Amino acid sequence: MDITAQAVGEGLRRANYIANQRIETAIFLALAIDKPLLIEGPAGAGKTEVAKVIAAMLDTELIRLQCYEGLDEARALYEWNYQKQLLRLQAGEHEGLAWDQVSSHLFSRDYLLERPLLRAISSPRTVVLLIDEIDKADEEFEAFLLELLSDFQVSIPELGTVRALHHPAVVLTSNRARELSEALRRRCLHLFIDFPTPDQERRIIELKVPELDEHLAAAAARYVAGLRKMRLRKPPSIAETLDWARALVRLGVRELDNAAVRSTLGLLLKHDEDRVAVEGKAGNIPGSSR
Amino acid sequence: MRRLVAQIVEELRAADIRISPAEAIDAIRAVAAAGFERDRMREALAAALIKDEADRPAFDRIFTAWLRRTITTEARDPGSHTGVIGAGKKSSADGGGRPDKPPESASEAAAPQSTPPTEDESESASKSKTQESDETDNSRDDADDSGDQSDQSSYDIGAGSGESSGIDAIEKARLKAIERLPFTNYSELEFETARIALAPLIRRFRVRAGRRLRAARRGRVDFRRTIRAAIQRGGAMVDLKMRARRPRRVDLLILADVSGSVRYAATLMLELSAGVRKMFRRTSSFVFIDKLAEADFEDGHLVMTPPLDLYARSDFGRVLAELRDRHAQLLGPATIVIILGDGRNNRRPARADILGEIARRCRAVCWLNPEPIDRWGRGDSAIENYVRHADLLIAATNLRELEDAMLTIGRPRRGGGSAVNPAPNPVGRFA
Repeated sequence: MDITAQAVGEGLRRANYIANQRIETAIFLALAIDKPLLIEGPAGAGKTEVAKVIAAMLDTELIRLQCYEGLDEARALYEWNYQKQLLRLQAGEHEGLAWDQVSSHLFSRDYLLERPLLRAISSPRTVVLLIDEIDKADEEFEAFLLELLSDFQVSIPELGTVRALHHPAVVLTSNRARELSEALRRRCLHLFIDFPTPDQERRIIELKVPELDEHLAAAAARYVAGLRKMRLRKPPSIAETLDWARALVRLGVRELDNAAVRSTLGLLLKHDEDRVAVEGKAGNIPGSSR
Repeated sequence: MRRLVAQIVEELRAADIRISPAEAIDAIRAVAAAGFERDRMREALAAALIKDEADRPAFDRIFTAWLRRTITTEARDPGSHTGVIGAGKKSSADGGGRPDKPPESASEAAAPQSTPPTEDESESASKSKTQESDETDNSRDDADDSGDQSDQSSYDIGAGSGESSGIDAIEKARLKAIERLPFTNYSELEFETARIALAPLIRRFRVRAGRRLRAARRGRVDFRRTIRAAIQRGGAMVDLKMRARRPRRVDLLILADVSGSVRYAATLMLELSAGVRKMFRRTSSFVFIDKLAEADFEDGHLVMTPPLDLYARSDFGRVLAELRDRHAQLLGPATIVIILGDGRNNRRPARADILGEIARRCRAVCWLNPEPIDRWGRGDSAIENYVRHADLLIAATNLRELEDAMLTIGRPRRGGGSAVNPAPNPVGRFA
């Protein structure tokens, strides 16, 4: 695919992703000037989805690295397959091979367990590398990523340096559980994805849950937007909106009235205190009064 | 184009947004790739330069001003480029409506110009502004600097950015000074300045506070990682891996006195804490005078529900009782209660026993006092009564101290957990 702004916009539409100018431009730039894209925004606003959409757009593989506390190089980059190496040693003993003969094999690709980062780099074609929730990883890991993101090469002491034949398209997401270092921010393009406007969300619902009545989709989008304005412990994500829309279809709801909302609120709100707060105010939220 | 991007980078830097040379280069590549259609160019520059959503409003403002100035500078340029002038005038008339390709034409126009005529231009431009003479000199120097950095022939546009950075320098010094000005000396004007100074402070605060959550060098051993690492060497040597320090989930409850004597401090603290809301599991903010009200920020304005009688006199005792009785669910073992107030109770019952009860129920009670230390305990101040029950009493008499105090509260305790360190000698505690 040729990387032009139009092609990216077209690709996003084909991948059923409703984007605004901001998202479109950021994705286009990430591909055009070959820079990692750091995406921030509230949970459930569609950050991870961007990576999936880019993969779909480029018609390529998505390699995902889910970050968590304590994630280290062994599980992110590569690890020697120790068991296999041991077996090889034992087999070598039986065959009476000299150490030189065995050791030259022991540290070859055959005994290397490729983890997501190495897989993305050594892939024979451009892939999309999603480093999800980088804020959950430790600072040391972040520092280690810096080297990788600037050079796209890894040195494995026993094997030498592995250089990327094709730079992967890198997408990082963060929920701001902790502040990322300036150094990482500097190396990435930045995109902030907020919750969609009611109108965008309506279009998302119509796209993903076409069975839902048109005016009901609009009302649902308005209602969810109203919920997000309230100070909730966990505002509903887009995925939850879609679940809710599907539930409304299955329940055969015709009008979004208080009773319908009340019986399905569990799909949108996952904390009891949020539910209590919303039920107290339910009548005041646009969309629910109809 | 390079020069134009360099210009906006400089203006952003003047507005205290940190941009590295590498990012500036990215911005040039980004604009080159995205083209000059206004919205797309704006998003391209933002993606490359703005790495914190909090900076985005400032960027939008600077971008609009930059675009408009670029166009008007072009329009002022006598000689050729008639088509460009027409376009520039039109779009500056409708407030920079849809100038599709102005920056490109501006750069084309600026490139062939020789230095002398543009310097004249810059001078006349500076004179035409109603500026004080020293400021104009200042700005000319800055314009020279910026010219040297980017390109020799950029004086015509450099003058514009130079002026603003000259003013910014004064502004910056003023903002720095306000950080140390005691709250008690505030006027309405200084309060407004302090609010402006608060924005970069919040950013710095977030980074400083976030840094405290980094992984531990000691503490609990991560058994799984240790064994995995050892296996690679056949278990010959063990290199202990430690479990990262997990930020304990902490709720924050802020209770701020907004009566006349301390309202500036209270508002600023509420704003500061609003910036770090995400670092805590839940933050609840209350303000009070003689009654309790929930506090919220909407568009930078403090909103109280229900509204308080601003001419009432502080009554800490009653407010504490109200908090205990009506918001008991917020006072759990994970809650840190931060009280901001001078403890001047207008000789009403202090009810320090209630504070004691709250302190027993919660993780910690911290009291920030915006009054100068030498006035604590004098007159109608009941602070000695309260301090017996607080884990921490900190003086927060100016913005800087306020930030430090908030950091002290967020400091992780040894061995893990972001929580108040019940120090044996809290700052300024009474003997």
